[in-house]
Amino acid sequence: MTTAPVPAQTAGAARRSLIASDLRFVLLAALGLALFPLLLHPIGGYAGLATQILIVSVASIAFNLLLGYAGMLSYGQAMFYGAGGYVAAILLLRAMPQHPNLWLAVLGATLVTAIMALLVGAVTVRLYGIYFALLTLAFAQMVFFIVEQAKDWTNGDDGLQSIPNALLPLGPWNVDLEQALPNIDLGIFGNLGDIKLWYVFAALVLIAALLFTRLLTRSQFGEVLTAIRENEERSVMVGFSAPLYRLAAFGIAGALTGLAGALRACYDGTVAVESLSIERSGQFVVYTVVGGVQTLVSPVVGTALIMYLENVLSGRTTAWRLIEGLIFVAVIVFLPRGVLGTLLKQREKNPRSIFVRALRPRTEEPDPLLKPGPEGHRAGPMSIIETFKLGKLFGHFAANNDIDFRVDPGELRAVIGPNGAGKTTFFNLLSGTIAPTTGSINYKGRDVSRVSGTSRVHLGIAKAFQTASLYPDQTVRQNCRLAALARVQGPFALQVLRRSTRLDDVDALAERAMDRLELTGVAEVRAGDLSHGDKKRLDIAIALATQPQILLLDEPVAGMSKDEARKTESLIRKLSTEMTVLVIEHDMEMVMGISDSITVLHQGTVLATGTPAEIRDNQSVQEAYLGGHTEAELASG
Amino acid sequence: MEALIEALLNGLVQGLIYVAIAVGLTIVFGTLRLVNFAHGAFYAVGAYTGLVVAQHYGFVTGLIAAPIAVAFFAVVLDRVVLRYFYDKTPTAQILVTFGIALVVEETLRLIFGGTTQQYPTPGFLQGAVQLGPIAYPAYRLLFAAGVLILIGLVWLFLVRTDYGLIVRAGTRDRTMVQLLGGNIRQASTIVFALGAAVAGLVGAAASPIYSIDPGTGFEFLVPSFVVVVVGGLGSFWGAVLGGLLIGELYSLTTLVYAPAANVIIYVCMALVLLFRPQGLLGESEVIRQS
Repeated sequence: MTTAPVPAQTAGAARRSLIASDLRFVLLAALGLALFPLLLHPIGGYAGLATQILIVSVASIAFNLLLGYAGMLSYGQAMFYGAGGYVAAILLLRAMPQHPNLWLAVLGATLVTAIMALLVGAVTVRLYGIYFALLTLAFAQMVFFIVEQAKDWTNGDDGLQSIPNALLPLGPWNVDLEQALPNIDLGIFGNLGDIKLWYVFAALVLIAALLFTRLLTRSQFGEVLTAIRENEERSVMVGFSAPLYRLAAFGIAGALTGLAGALRACYDGTVAVESLSIERSGQFVVYTVVGGVQTLVSPVVGTALIMYLENVLSGRTTAWRLIEGLIFVAVIVFLPRGVLGTLLKQREKNPRSIFVRALRPRTEEPDPLLKPGPEGHRAGPMSIIETFKLGKLFGHFAANNDIDFRVDPGELRAVIGPNGAGKTTFFNLLSGTIAPTTGSINYKGRDVSRVSGTSRVHLGIAKAFQTASLYPDQTVRQNCRLAALARVQGPFALQVLRRSTRLDDVDALAERAMDRLELTGVAEVRAGDLSHGDKKRLDIAIALATQPQILLLDEPVAGMSKDEARKTESLIRKLSTEMTVLVIEHDMEMVMGISDSITVLHQGTVLATGTPAEIRDNQSVQEAYLGGHTEAELASG
Repeated sequence: MEALIEALLNGLVQGLIYVAIAVGLTIVFGTLRLVNFAHGAFYAVGAYTGLVVAQHYGFVTGLIAAPIAVAFFAVVLDRVVLRYFYDKTPTAQILVTFGIALVVEETLRLIFGGTTQQYPTPGFLQGAVQLGPIAYPAYRLLFAAGVLILIGLVWLFLVRTDYGLIVRAGTRDRTMVQLLGGNIRQASTIVFALGAAVAGLVGAAASPIYSIDPGTGFEFLVPSFVVVVVGGLGSFWGAVLGGLLIGELYSLTTLVYAPAANVIIYVCMALVLLFRPQGLLGESEVIRQS
């Protein structure tokens, strides 16, 4: 694909402005962290507290990555925090007591916790909401009690003390982080000499963690992760592997949390079993929620606020934990966006929209949606999709029963039938949303009965839902881009640093899909704000952007006005010249008008298949419909 | 043999405490779809109320006062905070009830201090009963019988009263019950108070067996969640079965290899969540984020 010179320049400029924005972010963060211990001094905090806040903040950022960006409330983050501490301590105490090396201890701990998080994640990420929270809590409790019992290694309830002060080899130097900065009196801001090098190191680590999560949340990976949180059903059916994304997020968060735990243990010189406790897990929740989710820096603010209050108040009143609890409840009830989130409310909603690519001229390129599939679609006498004795039981109810069904490439087939005939179940079986109880599905000669819905999208089967399934908080363009992205990148790509905007095909595909459904005019409108008809058409556009060879449309014109329905009908007719289309519809005018052939389902099984004329004259079809329905209903749908 | 019988009895007593807490959790989830992390706090508040009242007016008065006080507390909590969270996501519910649990725990700590307290078994209930080869404390047996009766009463409430009918129907289809004119809100409040009162009463009754401190609520809540998940979130008999199962599992593991006792119940929960996420007796509900 050729790239026009103008967009290339725009892209280059945009990339430069992105780098500039990242640089600005880093400089601001560095400035803030440089001032932080000084500003803490006059309000009663000490330099050591500042260091602890920075270290714990790394874990809070990781927690927010899960809660704010992936929508996963993990109630067991302490297992990684504590484990990181114990691994670092054991490495320092046992593996290198003579030459304690901070790099090795921390990296070792991070690696171990990353593996641990991937293992725990492998079993937890398939659950949601309360079940996910409770299962992560269960694993954290297991780790807690195992560590408590493994006294030979962990010293049980007493924890590990006198962890050797690890040095930080840096080129020719062996930096001792216990060293203080030069003695300079700063008046009310204290003395620079109170601050150890540890603080500087912690600040650098925090900045690195912030920059990493900043890049991650705006990367291709972050884009998909947010999409999955917003609408998992849709994300799976455009071809993203939701479990893999959730697992990767859980692994990354676990590793970051372990890193924080390891640093904290090295800084404190001790690690106790409390670092693995439910209370610890709960604290990450408190810090993050108080600061606010969904902005990157807010967990740091929450952590600093609560840890500072803890520290100051615990000296003055025994009720400080109560106050902490009250703050937490007040924030949830009154400031659901968190403290910082509320302050920054007016900021733009979707950071990705900063970078809107210039529209590319659409002239010479062949339509990417028309690209024939590798096996040459609509070629030969082979059926494109075929089912044999397909059946689905829900309990004892056979929603689909013994369905033999065959569609030729390029056909436009309508699937009709009275309510409860099993049409949507049949589509769900074809698209892989549910697995059949009996029988099989052949797609281009290959048995796909056990292939997941996500993989079927990549094979070329896409579906538009009966109730439009969109990303309501994103623009129409972004909705289509996500589907196109799934086609271009595959089910999973660990692109945690680079943005999807570098992929030219994605924009082209999205543009074409919008164009096909006549949505270009509303490209920048938030999908949730669209009219009903536009929502239904966007749903089809999303399916189309995955470059399908078969398009399944579940009642595409349901609920539309007559005009809208006729418009959509003609769009579907145009699509059907380029691909195979299967459509469920009650609108008989449309069904009779556009279908090449019609299959009638009745009580979960095929009643008849034939041309519109044949179906119209079929005696048993008339009985099935008129048995429970009036003539008028039949006409209007 | 003696050790085994004793372990089984201990498991029964502990399991019944879990059952009493879990029943409240599960019916509240069933009717209100509310995941209540503050439910353990009801146990603790009941235990402390019982303790204070008992010190002045005797043990039985304490047992009467505890559930009343806790039910009142629950109604206030429900009306003031929780009702705004009925329709929120599970995540928001977990967060707010977790916050309430924190506040209650710390309030108790402020009033009663952080030390462990225990109410002595009242004089007329001391002594042991000879059960075959072993002598078992009479109070524990009485406690077990009492909890069983209590659970039976709750069940009767659910099947025999109009409120119970609304509650059970509401578990199936909340909207339909409202459309049919059932006052689900009033019934929900009563159910919430009932669940809390049961936890509070058991908290007070168990204080001669298990010592209490401000963190007790959370300590019992976590295994109770295990119980509810194992039995099936929203299922009454699931909570009963799960409680007895977890209590016995814990107790028997303690007998065989004590260090594993705390781990095994979480392993059990993880296995259930993975292979039968709706729980042993739960209905096959789609477990997806709403």
